[in-house]
Amino acid sequence: MAAPETSTAAVPSLYTNNALRNAFGGVLSFFILLLIGVMAFSIRLFSVIKYESVIHEFDPYFNYRVTQFLAKNGIYEFWNWFDDRTWYPLGRVIGGTVYPGLTLTAGTIWWLLNSLNIPLSVETVCVFTAPIFSALASWATFLLTKEVKGTGAGLTAAALLAMVPSYISRSVAGSYDNEAVAIFALIFTFYLYIKTLNTGSLFYATLNSIAYFYMVCSWGGYTFIINLIPMHVLLCIVTGRFSSRLYIAYAPLVVLGTLLAALVPVVGFNAVMTSEHFASFLVFIILHVVAFVYYIKGILSPKMFKVAVTLVVSVGLAVCCAVIAVLIALVASSPTKGWSGRSLSLLDPTYASKYIPIIASVSEHQPPTWPSYFMDINVLAFLVPAGIVACFSPLSDSSSFVVLYIATSVYFSGVMVRLMLVFAPAACITSGIALSQSFDVFTRSIKFQLPGISSNTEVDAAETSSATAEAQNDAVKTEKSEETSKNRPSKKSKKKEKEEKPSTKAKAEKRLIALPLDSSVISLLLLILLGAFYVVHCVWAAAEAYSAPSIVLTSHSHDGLHVFDDFREAYAWLRHNTDVDDKVASWWDYGYQTTAMANRTVIVDNNTWNNTHIATVGTAMSSPEKAAWEIFHSLDVKYVLVVFGGLVGYPSDDINKFLWMVRIGGGVFPHIKEPDYLRDGQYRIDSQATPTMLNCLMYKLSYYRFVETDGKGFDRVRQTEIGKKYFKLTHFEEVFTTHHWMVRIYKLKPPKNRIRGKTKKSKSKTSSASSRAKRSGMGKKNPWH
Amino acid sequence: MAANFFTISIIILSLFLVTLSAESESELVADLLTLQSESESGVIHLDDPTVSKFLTNPKTPRPYSLIIFFDATHFHDKPELRLREIRREFAIVASSFIANHNSSNTKLFFCDIEFSESQPSFQLFGVNSIPHIRLVGPATESLEDDSGEMDQAGLSRFAESMAEFIESRTKLPVGPIHRPPILSKIQLGVIALVLLVWSPLVVKKIVAGETLLHDPRSWVSGAVFVYFFSVSGAMHNIIREMPMFVGDREDPNKLVLFYQGSDMQLGAEGFTVGFLYTIVGLLLAFVTHALVYVKGATAKRTLMLFALLLSFWAVKKVIFLDNWKTGYRIHGFWPSAWN
Repeated sequence: MAAPETSTAAVPSLYTNNALRNAFGGVLSFFILLLIGVMAFSIRLFSVIKYESVIHEFDPYFNYRVTQFLAKNGIYEFWNWFDDRTWYPLGRVIGGTVYPGLTLTAGTIWWLLNSLNIPLSVETVCVFTAPIFSALASWATFLLTKEVKGTGAGLTAAALLAMVPSYISRSVAGSYDNEAVAIFALIFTFYLYIKTLNTGSLFYATLNSIAYFYMVCSWGGYTFIINLIPMHVLLCIVTGRFSSRLYIAYAPLVVLGTLLAALVPVVGFNAVMTSEHFASFLVFIILHVVAFVYYIKGILSPKMFKVAVTLVVSVGLAVCCAVIAVLIALVASSPTKGWSGRSLSLLDPTYASKYIPIIASVSEHQPPTWPSYFMDINVLAFLVPAGIVACFSPLSDSSSFVVLYIATSVYFSGVMVRLMLVFAPAACITSGIALSQSFDVFTRSIKFQLPGISSNTEVDAAETSSATAEAQNDAVKTEKSEETSKNRPSKKSKKKEKEEKPSTKAKAEKRLIALPLDSSVISLLLLILLGAFYVVHCVWAAAEAYSAPSIVLTSHSHDGLHVFDDFREAYAWLRHNTDVDDKVASWWDYGYQTTAMANRTVIVDNNTWNNTHIATVGTAMSSPEKAAWEIFHSLDVKYVLVVFGGLVGYPSDDINKFLWMVRIGGGVFPHIKEPDYLRDGQYRIDSQATPTMLNCLMYKLSYYRFVETDGKGFDRVRQTEIGKKYFKLTHFEEVFTTHHWMVRIYKLKPPKNRIRGKTKKSKSKTSSASSRAKRSGMGKKNPWH
Repeated sequence: MAANFFTISIIILSLFLVTLSAESESELVADLLTLQSESESGVIHLDDPTVSKFLTNPKTPRPYSLIIFFDATHFHDKPELRLREIRREFAIVASSFIANHNSSNTKLFFCDIEFSESQPSFQLFGVNSIPHIRLVGPATESLEDDSGEMDQAGLSRFAESMAEFIESRTKLPVGPIHRPPILSKIQLGVIALVLLVWSPLVVKKIVAGETLLHDPRSWVSGAVFVYFFSVSGAMHNIIREMPMFVGDREDPNKLVLFYQGSDMQLGAEGFTVGFLYTIVGLLLAFVTHALVYVKGATAKRTLMLFALLLSFWAVKKVIFLDNWKTGYRIHGFWPSAWN
């Protein structure tokens, strides 16, 4: 940034020329940004084009239902919403247990559109929220990267982010989940932090706190921000980069941000009570101590200052030790040392696999292998190291933040594949910087070595060109450079050191600040090829890998396209053929979809907050028919829904999830034992299966009448014939099976009439088995049955 | 009268027998206690004679339980069996148990048996795979069938899960497990001394601003190393404890360095690709930041062409490996008129 000043001073005639170029550049980059936004939006529409405009998967259905409620009943009702349609008979407090950012955003968009007389349905708004926010996120990336390395790098980074597959995977149209808006909030918060750091303006500091508040509203990942920014502040202090701008950037964020975060019900007092936030407070204290020391240093003579330092250090050390001892005692007194399991498994990666199987079992929490990186950030993986090096030449406050961001996020993504999403923006920013700088160098080399330009002008041009190239990069900054250079002493001095070396060299051999022409051309072509490969890969990933809504399934075979729409068929059947207050039991995966699409009460859903309740359903599914009927009946269940893929070969059905039901059920009710369902440690459903397996409810409900389809009962998922083919149901009756048999719904038979004098009630489950056997023996004599 | 005498004599005889067996029982316990005190960790080493002495000969119920670790010295160098590690944990549990019961325990003893010197005992127990741990309760008659085997599931937190196993089977509380501290007291003292000597130097350097922290080069290399480490999937290897490479099943002399299938990777494979990922970026940085200042056009040209070739090869190689490993066929979406 020192270069443009000298160039404008030395060549005043160039100034008007430059101003015109800057204006043209501004307009051009505006249109480029507009196109990037359009691209970010449209690349995410493959799911709508290939399938239809529907909400995807499981969690988005819950968010959609909450948004519907918000749109219908208003914000206060939403805030106090107690949902009695789920976790029957417990219910769930929705207002206090969700991150409301996404819902409020979509609700506001819907309200705004409706008040403008644009009658879009809530579903349409929800489907397209994620693509809209992807466009916003790429603009935020432009702003952030521009603050760090100039407009060129910003535009490149924005273009890369608009189509990075990792982000596409969470933000295709219909994927209505928290991450969709949270990534925008994350990048925007970082941008405002950097902007405040560069300008020292309280206005941006306030905006930063508000952006942070939006992030807290949106996603639990906000803890990444509230740990990364303190780390950067600490880094700046340690490396001697403390300034008043740093203070302004950080202190308001901690105070305002924490206050605002505590307003979100789901965070509440966690914002000051959990260890995830302690780092920010510690750094807040350190920052004040350092600021105080700098202030004292300014008003005292050096000698007095030395005396004061020794005095303060001795007293301060004692106080610090006491405070740290208290803190350690506080933290150590809690069993998990005040950290949640997920955060701990980030710090000690082997923690989860050892102690928390439920976290370790989730597929998004697995550590990724190297192909995941190639799939999710593709060629950016090659460019990031160059970007890191570029951030160090020269190192500024903002570029050190980018380095810290990429180093921490790449480590976290290595621990949990889910955090690839946080790493992707960092990768785009650094790759954008790398690409833009290399283009800069190569095009400059070509421009001034083209034949026909005499060596004399070449020298001149080479000098000015390097300046104008930078000037273009810092187009917006040039006006500000004077004022910013004033309050950037540390940065400027560093820069001067850096700049001295090249400039002396340049004087000696000005011509050589360029690369050979032919190899520059080749490298440029190769880089363009690399970029083209990235585009092809991203479009392929968006179209083929990440667009399936998983509620409608398709398969290609030799006789054309098959569509499996069984889920919606089943939910529609429930909605139209059952009573409004009927309870439907299914495994928890389908809870959100049942409440949202069928509008029926469920026992458990994807918000797995009550393990005992889930274990009860798991136990019922793993019990024989009678015992299962008793459990379901005690929960007022009318219908049981199972997902069965054996006919069409849909692998993620309930039989494949069944061992988890057994495990979770057995964890709470010890009479369910996993070995009973395994033959020699192998899970099988063919004739070798154990009797317990063949008699459990899940087997019976899945394979009831299955032999009628092909006469053999061949299961296409397990690739085997089933073990027990002909059996009748005693306590359940089949009421509906979808077209491809993917969803089967059963109704509980009404309880049998009791015979007078035999009304002895069984208290415990174990004794009930024998008495029930007796009763059913008697039941045969009942003329009404 | 004769019948009376007969009953009395039977009573006396049985009384005698009972006292005799009681005596021998207490002798056995005393023997076990002696053996236990002789061993350093409190694990009694059994062999064929002692197995018959303590387990097969005494009548049930025996006054003690034995928990037996089946060891095989010649398998100690096989890392996948983790015998040494489990043996060490076993000893920790044993010494903790003894310490928690103030050496007054006569109910449970920790033992180990070595395969090469007591093969008959292994057959007696019907043990044909190791690591194997078995609890022989007081009432166990047949060693092969009745004794309880500990399942191998909880091997990651071995000492703790074994303590739970013992508590559930014998109703004897093990108490807290005393692991030896990672650093001994002498080592701690040395480290503290070194730190004390160092601290003035460090403080001086920090004040002067000359530490590694102030050197951007250390930051660059640190950041690039973290990047290389994560991108190579090293965390996956650490968490899953993947080996660097495995032997080929068909040809034992060949090594398998690359695993096909994207859900798993081997150590060497990850580092190779991580290196390829990183080297391209570093070459690009070298060309754009360092090579421009190099004097001499030929040197520039050769270095640059070399960098170009290497990067091109690395990118090609990674794309090839990725397609091979994941089985994806990435294709563009061209206008249908082009085909």
